[in-house]
Amino acid sequence: MDGAAPDARARTYRFAFTGRAGDYFRIWIVSLCLSLLTLGIYSAWGKVRKRRYLQAHTRLDGDGIDYRASPLAVLRGRGLAVVFLGGFALAAHFAPLLQLGFLLLIGALSPWIVVAAARFNARTSTYRNVPFAFDGRYGEAAAVIIGGALAVIASLGLAYPWYRMRRARFVVAHHRFGATPFSTTLDAGEFFLTYLFAFFMVGGLIALSAGAGFAAAAVAEDGDALLLALTAVIYTTYIAIYAFIRARTLNLIANSTTIGPVKLEGSLGARKLAWLYVSNVVAVLATIGLATPWATIRLARYRAECLAARTDAPLDMLLAGTSPDATATGAEVSDLFDVDVAL
Amino acid sequence: MTGFSGVLYLGRSASRQPVRVEIDGATMMIVDDGEPRTLALADVRADAPIAGVARRLSLPGGAVLETEDAGAVRTAWPTKSLLERTAFRLESSVQAATAAVFVIAALVALVIRVVLPAAADPVARAMDPRLERALGAQAQAALDQGWLQASLLPAERQNEIKAKFAAFAGEDAPSAKLAFRRIGGPNALALPGGTIVLTDEMVTFARNDDELMAVLAHELGHVQNRHALRMVLQQSGLAVLATVIAGDAAGMTILAIALPSALVNARYSREFEVEADDYAIALLAKNGRSPQAFADVLRRFANDERTAGPRDPLWRYLSSHPALDERIQRAEAAR
Repeated sequence: MDGAAPDARARTYRFAFTGRAGDYFRIWIVSLCLSLLTLGIYSAWGKVRKRRYLQAHTRLDGDGIDYRASPLAVLRGRGLAVVFLGGFALAAHFAPLLQLGFLLLIGALSPWIVVAAARFNARTSTYRNVPFAFDGRYGEAAAVIIGGALAVIASLGLAYPWYRMRRARFVVAHHRFGATPFSTTLDAGEFFLTYLFAFFMVGGLIALSAGAGFAAAAVAEDGDALLLALTAVIYTTYIAIYAFIRARTLNLIANSTTIGPVKLEGSLGARKLAWLYVSNVVAVLATIGLATPWATIRLARYRAECLAARTDAPLDMLLAGTSPDATATGAEVSDLFDVDVAL
Repeated sequence: MTGFSGVLYLGRSASRQPVRVEIDGATMMIVDDGEPRTLALADVRADAPIAGVARRLSLPGGAVLETEDAGAVRTAWPTKSLLERTAFRLESSVQAATAAVFVIAALVALVIRVVLPAAADPVARAMDPRLERALGAQAQAALDQGWLQASLLPAERQNEIKAKFAAFAGEDAPSAKLAFRRIGGPNALALPGGTIVLTDEMVTFARNDDELMAVLAHELGHVQNRHALRMVLQQSGLAVLATVIAGDAAGMTILAIALPSALVNARYSREFEVEADDYAIALLAKNGRSPQAFADVLRRFANDERTAGPRDPLWRYLSSHPALDERIQRAEAAR
């Protein structure tokens, strides 16, 4: 086709987000209103419409990511979740033994929920009419999630970064775009460094707030106002630490991921993300919730802007799956249960 | 003949092909660099329209055609589903969005103020009392392990209070059972299932047995009105409402739902306190005693460092109890 060296065709595409808060606000408020009026039934349609808007405006090389989930599949999943989990949660209020059973059940189900949600979300998302797919299995998910959780308990928490890394690696490595599998070189080292740093931040926070608390108690006449201010500071710092972990781990995950000739590049900034989180919470509280769509949009915009795809070959070269029913076995099951699980 | 431009995605690979579409009667023609392709409009399915999202046309054979020309798609492929059509119309209108804000505010207020309290009452009454007793036994076991210590009150005094309370409560007495404990401060609390925990410090804090009966009558009010169970039910309902409202809030904004929920739960608790106060006042009157006894004991609570509570007006909205001065006024108004 051409004799040029692959490097000559290497190109970096930045993700871009083109959604607008005004448009999204109307979809969001109509969804909320109709959901309340229909006792939650419309929420399935609302969820699909909101997600379609957000994904369609998350663009790579000009094209968005199409979301094609059927609202009825989402509704079935939600109905099941409400009856199942709601029933157990209510029953657990009255009997401690049931509560334990409930926790065990959630534990046993969580690998299945992760797999089913990843499969559903992948299968219903397409880019340029080529679908994503997820082929992780319950057995491996159980080893990663339940086995990992037991290792975290046994190590008194020290294995937690390793557990998070394994979980992310499981989810990424089992995704495909069309016929092209995702692959990842994620390892635990950087995860440990991230959590170690966060651990020192938490230690600093505790020392700081204890010191400030004593100082406040010693100096202040009006303890209440100071207590409130202190609470706000603690929450803000907590969010900042969360943002730090999130920015670092999402970047690590992106930077270790390749999809055939495409290499992802993540460049989230912890400070910028923390600022977005804190200002979002303040804005949502101050507007009794009305700023929620605005908060969603600016977060989606920043996350898209901090993701890029570097590729040696044109994106056109990525082929669709050869056997479209490769995932059909699990399709019926995953249709029953639609849950969002963050990477 | 009308037409629009769009992008064709064949679906065999991640390729895109800008095309022009011409519509003529019941057929459409897709024109690009190569051979034009003719299709019947009836063989093409259009997606549900969403305001601000490009329309997607599914062609036979799996190809997809996307276009920003929503008007042309609407004319050629009118949306059949009434639900999707209505949603699109509402989403496209600023007036509808504004109206939705007010409808939501009214609905949320209605659910919080009327629907949940009104629904929790009959549900609580219909529930098996054994459930409530199990809930209470659990709570008491937790309290006994944690904060409560065995009472040092002599058995005669305990029996005297029990007998007085049984006579005082009359026909409502069998629903409650007194349990004497120590906690380090004057307090009384009603557990689900009817156990009323009375602390030694409360017995000595009360200046006379009328005051003590007034405090117990307030707790009996919680028992009689099944407040513990109703609280669980109302909180669960509120959690469901919060999930519908903030179910998919982005990331950390979920924190923003915690404070409003706490405020509403505190409000429910204050409403139950008022109900229990009313019950106590009525029971005092029924026994031929003045509600002043209740006002007196509340006033001494207000003057005691340990029980006065924070004075900042801001805390009133976070507090599980109404301000003591309001409760005193209510009791004295009932004299």
